[in-house]
Amino acid sequence: MLLLDYQNVLIQSLLTERFSGASPVSIDQVVSDFDGVTYHLSTPESKTKILISINVRCFKELVQYGAQDVLEREYGPYIVAPESGYDFSIQIDLESLPADQDAKDDLIRRTSLLKRNSMAAPFERAFDDFMQRQEEASKFTRESAPEGVREGGEVMAIHYRDEEAIYIKSSHDRVTVIFSTIFREETDRIFGKVFLQEFVDARRRAIQNAPQVLYRNEPPLELQGVRGLSDGSNGEVGYVTFVLFPRHLTPQRRQETISHIQTFRDYFHYHIKASKAYIHSRMRRRTADFLQVLNRARPENEEKERKTASGRTFRVQG
Amino acid sequence: MASQTPAIVMDNGTGFSKLGFAGNDAPSFVFPTAIATRGGVSGGGGGSGSGRPAIANKPSYLTGGSGSGGALAAKRGTEDLDFSIGDEALAASAGPGYGIHYPVRHGQVENWDHMERFWSNSIFKYLRVEPEDHYFLLTEPPLNPPENRENTAEIMFESFNCAGLYIAVQAVLALAASWTSAKVADRSLTGIVVDSGDGVTHVIPVAEGYVIGSSIKSIPIAGRDITYFVQSLLRDRGEADSSLKTAERVKEEYCYVCPDMVKEFARFDREPDRFLKHTVTAPNGRSVTVDVGYERFLAPEIFFNPEIYSSDFLTPLPTVVDGVIQQSPIDVRRGLYKNIVLSGGSTLYKDFGRRLQRDIRHLVDARLRASEARSGGAKSGGLDVQVVTHKRQRHGPWFGGSLLGQTPEFRSYCHTKAEYDEIGPSIVRRFALLGGPGST
Ligand SMILES: Nc1ncnc2c1ncn2[C@@H]1O[C@H](COP(=O)(O)OP(=O)(O)OP(=O)(O)O)[C@@H](O)[C@H]1O
Repeated sequence: MLLLDYQNVLIQSLLTERFSGASPVSIDQVVSDFDGVTYHLSTPESKTKILISINVRCFKELVQYGAQDVLEREYGPYIVAPESGYDFSIQIDLESLPADQDAKDDLIRRTSLLKRNSMAAPFERAFDDFMQRQEEASKFTRESAPEGVREGGEVMAIHYRDEEAIYIKSSHDRVTVIFSTIFREETDRIFGKVFLQEFVDARRRAIQNAPQVLYRNEPPLELQGVRGLSDGSNGEVGYVTFVLFPRHLTPQRRQETISHIQTFRDYFHYHIKASKAYIHSRMRRRTADFLQVLNRARPENEEKERKTASGRTFRVQG
Repeated sequence: MASQTPAIVMDNGTGFSKLGFAGNDAPSFVFPTAIATRGGVSGGGGGSGSGRPAIANKPSYLTGGSGSGGALAAKRGTEDLDFSIGDEALAASAGPGYGIHYPVRHGQVENWDHMERFWSNSIFKYLRVEPEDHYFLLTEPPLNPPENRENTAEIMFESFNCAGLYIAVQAVLALAASWTSAKVADRSLTGIVVDSGDGVTHVIPVAEGYVIGSSIKSIPIAGRDITYFVQSLLRDRGEADSSLKTAERVKEEYCYVCPDMVKEFARFDREPDRFLKHTVTAPNGRSVTVDVGYERFLAPEIFFNPEIYSSDFLTPLPTVVDGVIQQSPIDVRRGLYKNIVLSGGSTLYKDFGRRLQRDIRHLVDARLRASEARSGGAKSGGLDVQVVTHKRQRHGPWFGGSLLGQTPEFRSYCHTKAEYDEIGPSIVRRFALLGGPGST
């Protein structure tokens, strides 16, 4: 597995099973997803009505950036009042499912992307904003552009974890996405650096049209004036900056781009862990090799105790 | 920081792994504990494709410096990520290029490389959690060597940086799971667990949460043997389809335990509607019907009359259970007889518990009468034998874990990452008893 899935496998498999016409059962499960997202799947009223609620840490911020619109677009008729303790709920009635299989599959897919879609709003807004600015900027030459156009929009911050956040900023020729990351572990930090170096290098080598990636320990210029940033002087915090260029932001690519960039942190951590697993397996193999060598080893010409006929031994004096 | 996240409960059995979140009443995922990897057996390097020497291929970040760029990067492989687990693994191994491995044997982890990757995929692909944010509750079989615990801890803490870890014995969790049964009055952790999974059946006495290791008995008859037995019966009759899969379906759907084998034969002859038909639909759409007859009660009967299946293991299950209790310290025997808990997939047959209870009671009563006779007139107070069946039997250990993992004090029983860093792997040799006396 190289890339992480965007959808929640549990929701997907559960709905697929339910939709396939299996006899209704009651469900009551609390399920986690990355970044502290919690789902609650339940059948509170009757066994055919599945209520899916999601709790996102930064839902308030997301609403500010227009999450409600995105969710309404995606889940329109299924939305119900949020369950208490959760931020957003949809309800699917097994008795009034869309008739044809494609529509059903689409509903499953969309539902399993609940987390992704909740988090998509700020990205979409930034991308839209970028489009507008691009258009506006095309009216001016580089020098004559008024201040507002060159500067770009405000920074949108999503505090999706306790100590980590995503910052998004759009301007007329790019959208910048900045992740602040924290490493608890010394080892992880080193792995992380190597990985990020790879990302930075990737462009220099084969993959010319990858987004530009920068990594540094102090907050990048884009974040000037944003409050509550750690200056990274203790080396724990790092800032990873992705610069998305217009070719990543075309309407066709956009959804892909959003999905990819959202999973960045988890992807990153997954790979750090996977490399550790790989190294461990090499270490185990090495140990086994060494043990084999040790087992084969014998001391050369073992010193035998020499005895006289009467049973006395010689001893080296001194 | 990980203040609200539910604990993750993982029960990796020989046949199936159950994964889920504490607090739920069923595991979120149940799939075979299998991993399919590219090429042949790892370490042999002999398989197709990857055939790389073990030492020559060092990933570049070990050789230091990412300076020289290009040349190194080109060789960088991701073979170690080319694998799949669970049902996907079974599917992949059917195709070319992948070999299937079962990292757990007889309940114990055998191949740590595979297990580490199995866990990694379980966590990131299926459960989708960041292990740093969650506490983990893992299970182990009785008599698991402490080295295995340490290995587990090394992987969980060093590879995954999980926030906290608790390793519980399956049998103890199975006892905790039985608390949901109406028959259980007091939530004690004393009892005897009859755990029958796919490969072996264990009879494990537990006193106040501690396994009495010296009296554990294993029986080499479990789910797989029953499936084979059903298969052989189908074959003998020359049924249209006698594959292992069909045999398993038949076993799981139609089998039950009868009170008396001979009478049941007569009953089948009297009531022809006891013979059933099972329809198998092949993937290509063709379907055949298979007659289902005496195996309905004969198959589970091999627990009670092993001689009909095997020639080298002949002790019936009730006798084994009785024997285990008789070998346990005298002061817990009464408690053990009173709380015989079933767990695992192969105890799900209808009336399994009732038959077991009856047979054990016969044994006990016979012994009591004999000792009354010998003592010349002294009356015994009688002994209460109770077999507890409950709804969560199928995933007993997992459910027990889920129950205990959601309690507020669970976290204080775990060893945390910080403690591990301080003391090292040996820390997991001891765990305070979860759900024992003193906690709720
Ligand atoms: N309804 C059923 N009736 C009878 N047998 C069943 C039923 N459901 C599952 N089984 C059998 O139970 C077995 C699997 O049990 P389980 O999942 O408890 O094993 P496990 O936990 O992997 O093994 P272990 O506990 O030894 O590690 C399989 O052989 C399966 O055929």
